[in-house]
Amino acid sequence: MVLVFPPIIREAIIFSSLLTLLSIGLTLGYMTTRVPNFAHGSFATIGVYVSLVAVRLVNVSPYLFLPVAFLVSGFVALLLYKAILKPLMRRGASTILLMVATIAFDMLLIASLNIFADYLSRAHRITSRYFSLKAADIRIEGIPLVFYVAPIVAAALILTFYILLTKTKFGIAMRATIENPALAGVVGINIDLVYTVSWILAGGLAGIAGLLMSLWFVGNPDLGTLILVSIFSASIVGGLLNIYGAILGGFLVGFAEVIGTSRLASLLGVWIIPYRPVIPLLIMVIALLTIPGGLSSIRWSSIAKLWRR
Amino acid sequence: MVLPQEALILLTSILAWFGLYLIVNLSLNLEFGYTGIPNFGKLLVVAAGAYVAGYLPGRIMFNLANVDPSLDYIADNAVIVTQINNFLNQNPHISLSLLFLTLIVAAGIGAGLGFIASYPAIRLREEYLAMTLLAMAEVIRVIGYNYKPLIGGTLGVQVPDTLAFVPGELRFTIMSLVILAIAGFIFLYVERLVRSPLGRVLRAVRDSEAAAETLGKDIVRIRTKILVVSSAIGAVGGAMHALYTSGVISLTYDRVSWTFWPWVMVLMGGMANNVGVMLGTLIFVALRQLITFYKGVLEPILPFNVIWLDYILLGSTLIIILMYRPEGVLPEKATRTLDFRKLWARLNGRRSP
Repeated sequence: MVLVFPPIIREAIIFSSLLTLLSIGLTLGYMTTRVPNFAHGSFATIGVYVSLVAVRLVNVSPYLFLPVAFLVSGFVALLLYKAILKPLMRRGASTILLMVATIAFDMLLIASLNIFADYLSRAHRITSRYFSLKAADIRIEGIPLVFYVAPIVAAALILTFYILLTKTKFGIAMRATIENPALAGVVGINIDLVYTVSWILAGGLAGIAGLLMSLWFVGNPDLGTLILVSIFSASIVGGLLNIYGAILGGFLVGFAEVIGTSRLASLLGVWIIPYRPVIPLLIMVIALLTIPGGLSSIRWSSIAKLWRR
Repeated sequence: MVLPQEALILLTSILAWFGLYLIVNLSLNLEFGYTGIPNFGKLLVVAAGAYVAGYLPGRIMFNLANVDPSLDYIADNAVIVTQINNFLNQNPHISLSLLFLTLIVAAGIGAGLGFIASYPAIRLREEYLAMTLLAMAEVIRVIGYNYKPLIGGTLGVQVPDTLAFVPGELRFTIMSLVILAIAGFIFLYVERLVRSPLGRVLRAVRDSEAAAETLGKDIVRIRTKILVVSSAIGAVGGAMHALYTSGVISLTYDRVSWTFWPWVMVLMGGMANNVGVMLGTLIFVALRQLITFYKGVLEPILPFNVIWLDYILLGSTLIIILMYRPEGVLPEKATRTLDFRKLWARLNGRRSP
């Protein structure tokens, strides 16, 4: 049976799933190195271009290139951690300077992506700016496959994370390192390995999100920087220090953006649609002022107790 | 000789851009270098200042210059601004008053926005604050892009030339000098401010919030004050930019040009050192202007668009600075606020009667 969803809900589900993947990655990076990664949006853009190469150059279904997107973005994230953040942290750089370093890396990434886009259009005569790959998607009874794949991939990865963090030795080491790096080091956990794996995962997830994004959104080298505010907002709502919080935040911000914009557009007129980026900012500000620790900091059990009284 | 004409154009444009960026960078240095507020939303006030310059002078002159009231300011912008410029051409006094009025209003709007931005700034930790300010700046960009009545959206508007009475060939030179004069004035103001007792408190807040609070300093008020002052300065920079280029196009005001480049310049020169910031500004403005100026020469050599060279320059210099010289070319120095020799003499005098 094929469930029938109104298009707006479909859009909201796809956007929220992808946003969740991205905010999990940002949160993971922040939990380990304590720096919000301003280049995280561009990691997703890499996935978008992997998809473009798959469809236009290799002529295969973009879904086959999911592992490639994971590897390429994961490698770039590894590069950021190993070549830039780690040496700076060893020198005791402040959080502000680490943030500036991720911005610097983002500039290099954006330049590289644009140069690559220029190369594609010059050498291979491919439309590499403002392109749509919607046609490359498989359709099941008229509904694009990405509508199913995006939430399924998100759910599968969340489940994998859950198993990794609670059932495996490495996951427990990872949690210990996040809680208290110094103590974890004393116990004999290889902190650097944990950080390395976290950054590869963070980048890889962004790459996967980016590849799926190319099947729904218009691709351009600045796509990642445009959704950066949404990623920040989703992660902050989630609390920045909790992966499950990032999932909640991703869905909250994703749904609020898509549904909120369409509601407002039908209420006030279509002119409001371009102001969509204001919604994640508002959510972010409200979250910071009311629950600065994010959704994951709320003690649901104590609220339930209050309720029962 | 090819030199004079071309060299003069290059030199005046370097001087003008140096002045413009110096204004913005000094305000960033005041926030980040001295007070420790990571303002990743400098664009917010710069764009606001430019929008004021795009909005206000034209609207004021619309009636004064007897423009046909049936014309629409955005749609018939070119016609209207030409008429206004003809009027300003005859009235130097009105022109100059218009210039200063625009700057004052821009500073006022900037101060207001700084006050709004200080609301999260006094409550949040560095990383949360950085993300919030970046998002706020993004919103003003979106407004500039889409709200046509303000500055004509992505098409932009022309700004009346407040130096229209200056003969054509001298206009840019005079404008550069005006910018430099304003930048110089702001430089002296910021220097005085950081050498005052308040300046010492700023560094205390930056270095140890808890210690400053223990000594009875009201951190919330200090941060608010600094954000208001520095945002006003930043908005003046934005307004001057619009008046200099005699046009406002929302595309010009993006986070790379007006947030990230100022950060590079401040970090390169040396944070909490205004002379260092001046040096950093000069180096990068000159480099970027040279790249723009020799675009035609560079284009055939490079396998890609010259714009990306700007990004590569930004990213790689930032990384190099952070890795090898995070304190900048001219590191922060102990400020000599009292006359050291007198103080020394007095101390010695007391010890050996």
